[in-house]
Amino acid sequence: MSRPIETEFHRIAMEHLPALYGFAMTLTREQTAAEDLVQETYLRALRSFEKLMPDSNHKGWLFAIMRNIWLNEIRHAKSGPHFVELDPENSVEKGSADNSRTSPHVIFMTKITRTEVRAAIESLPVQYREVVVLRDLEGFSYQEIAAILECPAGTVMSRLGRARERLRLLLSRWQGEVKSKAKVNEL
Amino acid sequence: MISCRDFIVQLPLYLDDELRGDERSAFEAHLDNCANCRSAIIRENDFLKSIREARPLYPLPINLEARIQPIISGNVETRSEPDDSQTTVFASRVTGKKRYGWISLAAAVLIVFVISTIYLTRRRDVPLSNKLSEFAMLAVDTHLRHLRGQLPLEIKTTSPEEISDWFANKVSFSLKLPHYQESSGQEKLYELQGARLVGFKSDYAAYVAYEMKKRPITLVVTSNSVAMPSGGEELLSKGMTFHWDSINGLKVITWSDRGLTYALVSDLDERGQQSCVVCHQGTKDRDFIENLKPAH
Repeated sequence: MSRPIETEFHRIAMEHLPALYGFAMTLTREQTAAEDLVQETYLRALRSFEKLMPDSNHKGWLFAIMRNIWLNEIRHAKSGPHFVELDPENSVEKGSADNSRTSPHVIFMTKITRTEVRAAIESLPVQYREVVVLRDLEGFSYQEIAAILECPAGTVMSRLGRARERLRLLLSRWQGEVKSKAKVNEL
Repeated sequence: MISCRDFIVQLPLYLDDELRGDERSAFEAHLDNCANCRSAIIRENDFLKSIREARPLYPLPINLEARIQPIISGNVETRSEPDDSQTTVFASRVTGKKRYGWISLAAAVLIVFVISTIYLTRRRDVPLSNKLSEFAMLAVDTHLRHLRGQLPLEIKTTSPEEISDWFANKVSFSLKLPHYQESSGQEKLYELQGARLVGFKSDYAAYVAYEMKKRPITLVVTSNSVAMPSGGEELLSKGMTFHWDSINGLKVITWSDRGLTYALVSDLDERGQQSCVVCHQGTKDRDFIENLKPAH
């Protein structure tokens, strides 16, 4: 690898390290596995970096590599336990449709802490977790997310809508519980 | 102008900057004329903002940057390797390092150190525990992932000093790999391959890789304040308790000594005591090797 390319790869890798680690945690939900995933992502990226066009979307490229590695790992973890998550396309909670956006519980959404958001995202099925993180935390466009997840943009849109509904529901429920407890304590 | 229903449908697209051209104009026209929808967009925007502001959800682990530096600095060559599991496997090689031979005195003496102190006798008054040790599970998992090529070594050397020095500022405990005694005249059947860090309970454990005639042996070490051996079959030797277990077909021995907890993993037969046979040729050694074998 020539020097300028090496320097450029280092710059890009460092720039996206926090985001990549966050995505790795989103996928694996375990620190050791996430760190390994980040390392493996950079190893793979380094190998093909020279072939990359100069105007490429480096962040999207790194995220796509990471997700592919993670998927391969899951597919081939023959001896490991098999985690079955509900199909997010068919498991939307009843009564959590559009009316929740305008219902009173959104009033509670004033002070949501990072811990609460994190816990709520972690409680989502992986198809929802990843789409929320990619859009709402990492700012990827629908098309970019579709490219990373290798699915149609319409799927991204529908998953994102459902994921946000669940998040909204969870967070408002927790906020409501906190308020109820506070009220009891006041009495 | 679009209806309130269409507005609600298009609201996420608008806030995600995915609405273009005429659709965007129509949406904004409705927004200007509908107080209810203006309230809705403010609420939705506040909600999305609260999610965005939670970033980063996970703080970067302190040592991760140091761990990936050799890779992102281009000090690692990558190459693909065939893999039975058809996973994407990459092996790394640190450039500029001297290539060592396969024979490792250090590995042999380590196994001697591990096993020669163990005159294992079955502690009959203690029932077998079915609970798997978390640390033993980590050791097995690390062993398997390394074999799959998912955990490349961060330092490749046959020198125990280099590995001890490499760990010096990376782990919270002192780890000194022993030297093989040249005077033993014994055939050097173990090969030290290298080492890396592995995460365990918000800390790093030391992972050291060996081979014996192409059969991998893994040693994982951490502080006994982080992990204590537990589970499996308990065996006593000279006042120390060893835990033997078979996990996913691999043999694991875990024990604690002088502030450190060790796990030794191999795919050797029975309890893995064959590794002792090659290192312990004497009659005395054979005695304790026999004791290592499970009762039939």
